[in-house]
Amino acid sequence: MLESFAEFLQTLPVAVLVSENIFPEVEAAHVVALALFFGTLAIVDLRLVGLTSRHMRFTQIHDQVLPISWFAFVLAAITGGLMFVANASSYIHNTPLIIKFVLLALAGVNMAYFQFVTFRGVAAWDNGEPAAAAKLGGYLSLGLWVGIITCGRLAGFV
Amino acid sequence: MFIVEFSDWLANTAISQYFQVTPWVIPGMQTIHILCLALVLAGAVMVDLRVLGRGLKSESMAAVAERFLPSITPLVLVLLFTGIILIIAEPGRTLGNPAFYVKMVCLVLALIITARLRRYAATATTGDRAPVLLALLSMLLWTTIIVAGRFIAYIEPI
Repeated sequence: MLESFAEFLQTLPVAVLVSENIFPEVEAAHVVALALFFGTLAIVDLRLVGLTSRHMRFTQIHDQVLPISWFAFVLAAITGGLMFVANASSYIHNTPLIIKFVLLALAGVNMAYFQFVTFRGVAAWDNGEPAAAAKLGGYLSLGLWVGIITCGRLAGFV
Repeated sequence: MFIVEFSDWLANTAISQYFQVTPWVIPGMQTIHILCLALVLAGAVMVDLRVLGRGLKSESMAAVAERFLPSITPLVLVLLFTGIILIIAEPGRTLGNPAFYVKMVCLVLALIITARLRRYAATATTGDRAPVLLALLSMLLWTTIIVAGRFIAYIEPI
């Protein structure tokens, strides 16, 4: 079932175009996008755990930097999707890539919990020492994304 | 030709041979390299966007530059260290590669431009014209550095 779906993806015209003509270009765009994503997210997360930019309110960093991260994330997701369909049949058996997808799901859950639960009480810790839940969310985010990028690089060596 | 002879000599040294047979060296160094590049790119982009009147608008130009630019120096040192290990591990693939030299030229230009932006941020007074061209060039150069780095894997060494 999964095998035949992967084979179907790989026969799509866009998959053939990427795998035969523009894979290096798409991969390079993916690296630029993930670098901008991780770097800007790190600025937000490092403030969230209280290590940097302490003179600024968390919401100042959050509101002004996170839109850049989201822009880069969309670009990384599109280029990542293109790379995936180009080699879907082999990627579904690529262990680091499977771990990467699991970690991506966990990062999504962590982010959703932060936005919908922890962030609601931001007024209490916007200045000064962040709440324990905020710190935990920030460290989890940093750890998960380092893991995601590591697995992504390892996927190229399988 | 000197580069070819040097690469061959380097590839036969004990340290290169050790890196060649140690499977974690190349993916491990590449991962650290990408994570540091992400932080450098994000820091540079935050300053570039501030010059263009975007990004962290609530902070002064000087504050944004002092927040992000000093960390570029230690990060570039880690990038040089991991980069040198990657060259020692695969001398022929890197030193004979046109993409590697494009990357190095762009790196030197990007560092010069970053230093000039830092000086501008420290001395600028209200009414000074923002160095828009330098900021745009900075973003273009850091992006090219990442793209050229990825293309080392695809362009044939001469």
